Amino acid sequence: MANESDVRYYKPRTEFALDIKDIQNFVYDMSRCIKCKGCNWVDHTYMPGAKFMTRCPSAEKYQFDAYGAYGKMRIGHAFAEGRLEWNEKALEIIYACTLCGACDVGCKRNLDLEIELSLESLRVKAVKDGVGPMPAHKKIAENIAKTHNMYAAPHDKRKDWLPAGITPARKADVLYFVGCAASYTNKEIAQSVAKILKAAKVDFMLMPDEQCCGNTLFSVGMLDEAKALAQRNIDEVRKSGAKTLLTACAEGYRMWKVDYPKLLNISTADLGFKVVHLVEYVDELMKDGALKMSKAFATRMAYQDACSMSRLSDPWTPYQGKRGWMGCVEPRLKRRRGTSGLYAQPRDILKAIPGVNLLEMPRTRENAFCCGAGRGTKEAFPDLAKFSAAHRLEEIKDSGAETLVTACPHCKNNFAQAIKAGNEHVQVMDIAEVICASIES
Amino acid sequence: MEISKEIYRVLADIVGDGYISDDPVVCEGYRSGPGGYESGLGYERVMTKVPGCVIMPKYTEEVQKIVKVCYRHEIPYVPYSTGFYGPRSHPHVKGALLIDLKRMNDFVLDEKHFYVEVGPGMVYSPIQEECMKHGAYVVIGGGGAQASAIANLIGDGWSPLSHRIGLPHRRILGTEVVMPDGEILRLGSLAQGGDDPFWGESPGPDLRGLLRGYTGLRGCLGIVTRMAIKTLPFQPERLVPTGISPNTALALPEKRIKWINFVVPSKDAQVKAMKEIGHAEIAGAVTKVPLFWRAIAKAECKEEFWDLWGKENEQTVANFHIVRVLLIGYTSEEQMEYDERVLMDIMTEVGGVARRTKPSDESWIKNADSAGMWLMCGGYVSVDYVIETMTQAPEHGPAYAELKKKYTPPLMPDYGDPGWFQSFEMGHQGYSEFLVYWDQDDDTNPVDQFYVDTSKMNIKNRFYTSLLGPHQPLYLTGPKYGPNYHEFLLKVKNEFDPKWMSHPPVPLAHDVFVERAPWMHNMKDWESPKDLDKIKD
Ligand SMILES: Cc1cc2nc3c(=O)[nH]c(=O)nc-3n(C[C@H](O)[C@@H](O)[C@@H](O)COP(=O)(O)OP(=O)(O)OC[C@H]3O[C@@H](n4cnc5c(N)ncnc54)[C@H](O)[C@@H]3O)c2cc1C
Ligand code: SF4
Ligand code: SF4
Repeated sequence: MANESDVRYYKPRTEFALDIKDIQNFVYDMSRCIKCKGCNWVDHTYMPGAKFMTRCPSAEKYQFDAYGAYGKMRIGHAFAEGRLEWNEKALEIIYACTLCGACDVGCKRNLDLEIELSLESLRVKAVKDGVGPMPAHKKIAENIAKTHNMYAAPHDKRKDWLPAGITPARKADVLYFVGCAASYTNKEIAQSVAKILKAAKVDFMLMPDEQCCGNTLFSVGMLDEAKALAQRNIDEVRKSGAKTLLTACAEGYRMWKVDYPKLLNISTADLGFKVVHLVEYVDELMKDGALKMSKAFATRMAYQDACSMSRLSDPWTPYQGKRGWMGCVEPRLKRRRGTSGLYAQPRDILKAIPGVNLLEMPRTRENAFCCGAGRGTKEAFPDLAKFSAAHRLEEIKDSGAETLVTACPHCKNNFAQAIKAGNEHVQVMDIAEVICASIES
Repeated sequence: MEISKEIYRVLADIVGDGYISDDPVVCEGYRSGPGGYESGLGYERVMTKVPGCVIMPKYTEEVQKIVKVCYRHEIPYVPYSTGFYGPRSHPHVKGALLIDLKRMNDFVLDEKHFYVEVGPGMVYSPIQEECMKHGAYVVIGGGGAQASAIANLIGDGWSPLSHRIGLPHRRILGTEVVMPDGEILRLGSLAQGGDDPFWGESPGPDLRGLLRGYTGLRGCLGIVTRMAIKTLPFQPERLVPTGISPNTALALPEKRIKWINFVVPSKDAQVKAMKEIGHAEIAGAVTKVPLFWRAIAKAECKEEFWDLWGKENEQTVANFHIVRVLLIGYTSEEQMEYDERVLMDIMTEVGGVARRTKPSDESWIKNADSAGMWLMCGGYVSVDYVIETMTQAPEHGPAYAELKKKYTPPLMPDYGDPGWFQSFEMGHQGYSEFLVYWDQDDDTNPVDQFYVDTSKMNIKNRFYTSLLGPHQPLYLTGPKYGPNYHEFLLKVKNEFDPKWMSHPPVPLAHDVFVERAPWMHNMKDWESPKDLDKIKD
């Protein structure tokens, strides 16, 4: 800190770490919430008008302040200080939240508070205190332990998605991590990815024995189980010699890029390989001339920014330091403000497709409204997932789009169900499918 | 009185089970808390309580029914639009009902008659966006684009845009209030019985003064459920949002709207320039903000703020004379060119030099970045805001800066920065706001003491103070500004709220605080009723 003035108070510096294992690390952040609700409102600069004003699905559905980050910070603070008893409502408030990061990026527009980490840490505390996670989450954990996937599908069928005529390489620079959803419920995504890579003449390998990425385990606060998977999966990639870990699942992308390093207390840069989402990879291929979007798709299209590949995807660096006067920290901390989101790449890809009229929804990029499916929400709070998708669909229709493009199987499935339930005239496609359709002759 | 199961049921029947809760966890989510405006101070610790129950009505009729139940069963209640305004927006007595008005967010824009009509849940930035789409604009109170327009207009309602748009009182048009006992009061043309809120005035006394006084009654005189707000003509071009958070701004169509920052040689030149700009009736905003706001705007994080601010000293602060002008081509590009030429003439006369200014607006037009106020310290309050003459207002800041030295630390070292100062109503008035910052982990008792000391200073220096009743001890300020202001206010309160159910003990809350906080006792050199401490908590 520059120029220590003589009027300063010199109070003892307190040690802390950006470590979600201990909620005490976030008492400062939780106690500094100013109720500005920047976590809930769309960035005021981008505020689209009297419709679509908010970006927190939890607050939008349940309305009470307790469900917005401002309420959760107060509740978390009370738990951290032992002033509040766990009850059913507390669990609902903490888990009926998509951990979508809209609050974190909204708050960090003006302040230096770690909202997402506080929310994650609160779930870890719930698990430690023996009250969390929710029963539906425990079932997923059981499935993963038994079958290595979240659906309890047979493990030996994990590679059944592979289309005829495509054989993964034994050894390649690119390792495609398929994930549970694309392996079992959304094979069309994995098949599209494989076809895209083939068309671009990129060799890729698969993990010899792929297992769940552990997204739900991590997201609901089951850190030990998530950490074991993180270590196992990273070791597998390192063993394979791959330089690039490719995924077409937004949640998986965030796990590999941000939360594995977080769990193992290492930097993203220390993984030893690069984590990329399909949109980054295809964008590069397009720019290098290896792929061309040639087949026309005449449609009015809207793109859903998946939280995990936008505002939640800044790389991770472990931090341990001291907080002193006025809350300043030493050593310096580069706050993760969600600035490295993959915003341009998917749009550049979609705009390159002849006939596509890409429309922006009023809430876009870091202001996007989460579909409501991710991070254990759909399993434990299906009503919230349904509500969020239906709410977002209103905006999609308002924008005039007829095709909704997602970049995460969980978003796609949730929207598909909402479209069906509402009998809406919108089709939803994963970006891998859209790309594949445009490059296939 | 506690909310019994039976009363809870009655309330739940009014709004539906999904919109009421007395769950302790839900109620904890409404705690005022140690963060935010005035928070972490003694007032928050001594005076605020977690609500006993929270209810979220959607319609005026529901509010009316809720309030009637409260009045009948003597349940204290607090209106709450967004809760941003710190401890004073939160219950001060145990077991109170917090009436969260966020669901009352109706919005109607009457393009032909240039007004908008809103509920208390509607905040400013959407209103501004809708207005701008229709060639109109409003003042977003500096407190933020996230503030409820109604809550802001019944208490505050100013920003640099007030240079042209003027005082908030006159922008309040037809208004609907649920009085403390549940009766409906309609103001302006709504009082005629129809549904046309176009006029602020109506036959008989103008009760808008009663509604807001100078800076409001902070929820102690019922609940405003609907208000028409006057809008003013803007220019037609779109202000395009750009950038990714945290660096977002509106790109300005430069031929129709632009900021220019001028460095002027002295404070006299600053005041003269502002007055002349007002006399010439040009510009949409004319202001001088604290130097540390510039550091907030530049800094990426709080540590960087202190790097930047650490480079300043009493000298640099004393020599910082800036006039920030927003030019708006309301009617045409030619009008804007004309205004700019006039502005440059004025600046040449006072020795002002234009600095390079970004062709964008980060704050004031659609966004008002008040949340950034907490970046560097964590603790913040504006201890006073004063509307005076243009010559008197600039005297106010330095007097504060002097008093502040006695309380620094724990106040942030700001090297005597005299705060925020600007022109209102085309220079007919000058506005001065004094802001203080501190680290809430320090001993904050001196901040509480400083707050009351500022009132004494205002009285001594004969400055008008805005924060009379609800923010300062009424028995300290009332006799000096009245001489019977306090008696008048209490009569009004007793008349309309004889049971004191609407946000008790406001407007005597600060008096009660002084009684209850031992570290305030040595400040007390004024008379107040003996039974103040009997007000139950
Ligand atoms: C950092 C900061 C800077 C500020 N700077 C400025 C400024 O430059 N210009 C300016 O104009 N203001 C300023 N203010 C004041 C501020 O903008 C308030 O006017 C605004 O926050 C009130 O809106 P709210 O939604 O926060 O109200 P709330 O917090 O919900 O309520 C504020 C008060 O009004 C009462 N209330 C709320 N709704 C109603 C209702 N419907 N009927 C009756 N009573 C009600 C509450 O009980 C409470 O006492 C500033 C405030 C802060 C915190
Ligand atoms: S993570 Fe998303 S759903 Fe949860 S509180 Fe934040 S904005 Fe709301
Ligand atoms: S944006 Fe941050 S400080 Fe503001 S209310 Fe939300 S969590 Fe609190």
